[in-house]
Amino acid sequence: MEFVQRLFIDPFNRFLDNLLLFLPNFLTAVVILFAGFLIGALLKMFFGRLLRAVGIDGLCERTGMNQLLCKSGIKDPLSLLLAKIIGGVTVAVFALIAVQTISVPAVERLLERFFLYLPNVFVALIILVVGYLLSNFLSRAALIASVNAGVRFSGLVGRFVRYVILIMSVTMALEHLGIGSETVIIAFTIVFSGVVLAFAIAFGFGGRDAARDYLERKLKGSENDDADEITHL
Amino acid sequence: MEEIVLRKEVQTWLEVVGTADLLVGIPSFNNAGTIGHVVRAVQAGLAKYFPDCKAVLVNSDGGSSDGTRDVVENSVIDDFQQILISQRAPSFFKTATMYSGIPGKGSAFRTIFEIADALQVKACAVVDSDLRSITPEWIELLLKPVYEGGFDYVAPLYHRHKFDGTITNSIIYPLTRALYGRSVRQPIGGDFGFSGRLASHYLGQDVWESDVARFGIDIWMTTTALAGDFRVCQSFLGAKIHDAKDPGADLSAMLFQVVSATFDMMETYHDFWSKIEGTTKVPTFGFEYAVGLEPVSVNLERMVERFSLGVQELVDIWKIFLPPETIDFLCEASRQKGDDFRFPDEVWVTIIYYFALAQHNRTLAKEHLLKSLTPLYIGKVASFVMEMRDSSSVEVEERLASLCHEFEKQKPLLLEKWL
Repeated sequence: MEFVQRLFIDPFNRFLDNLLLFLPNFLTAVVILFAGFLIGALLKMFFGRLLRAVGIDGLCERTGMNQLLCKSGIKDPLSLLLAKIIGGVTVAVFALIAVQTISVPAVERLLERFFLYLPNVFVALIILVVGYLLSNFLSRAALIASVNAGVRFSGLVGRFVRYVILIMSVTMALEHLGIGSETVIIAFTIVFSGVVLAFAIAFGFGGRDAARDYLERKLKGSENDDADEITHL
Repeated sequence: MEEIVLRKEVQTWLEVVGTADLLVGIPSFNNAGTIGHVVRAVQAGLAKYFPDCKAVLVNSDGGSSDGTRDVVENSVIDDFQQILISQRAPSFFKTATMYSGIPGKGSAFRTIFEIADALQVKACAVVDSDLRSITPEWIELLLKPVYEGGFDYVAPLYHRHKFDGTITNSIIYPLTRALYGRSVRQPIGGDFGFSGRLASHYLGQDVWESDVARFGIDIWMTTTALAGDFRVCQSFLGAKIHDAKDPGADLSAMLFQVVSATFDMMETYHDFWSKIEGTTKVPTFGFEYAVGLEPVSVNLERMVERFSLGVQELVDIWKIFLPPETIDFLCEASRQKGDDFRFPDEVWVTIIYYFALAQHNRTLAKEHLLKSLTPLYIGKVASFVMEMRDSSSVEVEERLASLCHEFEKQKPLLLEKWL
């Protein structure tokens, strides 16, 4: 009898005690999670309307963000996307509180590490988005400026600016995420330096006659200057 | 009235002068080499044509480091008899001051307007500081229509080479004429006359922290006069010869400044121009005469190449806001070579109106949008030169009148799409 008591009844009683201690916490956690879903849904609806009202979808269209989203397979407008993110973050916060209420140490530690890493992911996303928008803007500016300057390879100039900025953004984002940060930076430095050196050698050797002619025209002027004499204003 | 931002020494000078009948303003920045002639021409003009009037000359300077203001103070006519003026103007006051505000011609004009308002001047004129062809007669032609004729705004009318002023000829003049219904030939001439009433009106507008202060003052003054309750006329001044601008001056920057200022005015005065139909002539003063002008050489081959390069590289940008048939035409035109190249007025006007709509709808960043117009403008100029190279100035004016009619004809399209 004492054997049965020690082997089965006492552990079972301890289990019941633990369960009775756990259940209230668990029920509280369920209520918190449910509240999180409800509040998340309300915030998603509120911010969706607010962002549409301030015209963020139009701004997105003008800056080229829509193209980026479509290429990524996202069909939702930015206002809805942001609203969903806000709703999701709200649910995640309530989920974290709910898990902490349960008081399971292993789960708490895992979640803690995950949520501590999340800000890095957000910052990396912001770096990528800003990098994309900047690459669009500056590549277009470079393209138009080089066309107006009569540069024949203007398209190449525009694409070069775009890809340099995109690659820099990806490098910065990966560095922020701590993914092979030193490797990525070293690789980027080597590639970028190599490209610049190649251009310098190509223009230095291959273009020296053109450079000489250009400098002579600029410094001395040309007898057969064929510039337009129209006064545009 | 807005707070006056004049320097202390100017306020003291104003107290001494009290009131005046006429004011001539000269904006400047590092123009010591030319402003002396302008000052003497102004003084001679005031003495010859307004001997009974109290007149002031105001140099509004942007902080010149070459002694421009000293040249203004020291420039006087030593011998009025030599220029056949028997008497000096009884009252002639002069001041050279630095303007405050955003660097630009508009801020310089603001100071001139403030002084005109403080002195309760009846008629004012502004002339450029690098004019080499200014004569005393310019002062009569800019001031008399206001002082005696009851007009509020006098635009200049110059005799120019048929291929000069192409931005004005191909965009600003026909567009302003179609929108505001009056045929002001040189809406951004740079030398104007205006009444004290109009100067006070200018001063009361809230534009002095905007692009108007930087580079849009000329078109803003003309448009404000056309769209307001003001009587507008123009005066023939002859040839306008001034210092050659820096040859490195960027055409696309010039085009951006002028066109963006004009398009900005369309936003401000939409309620006015949307109701205007047809065009009326404005009264013209002055004795028109032909002036010998130096020939202008044009590198047509390079212009057509620049146009083709622009179409090749920028067509994806233009596809965002130009209609498909226009894009098709541009692609076809970029393949034309030599004397076959033509850029019809119908297509050009459509392009200008769609660019205006694109700026209105903020389809692209404004600077990108308007700088991308440069290759199209170069193509249009090349086509115009090819078409009119053997024509006289009279025939060119008739051709420009035809362009103006096209702008008027397509105006309903602009109105329909302007939301």
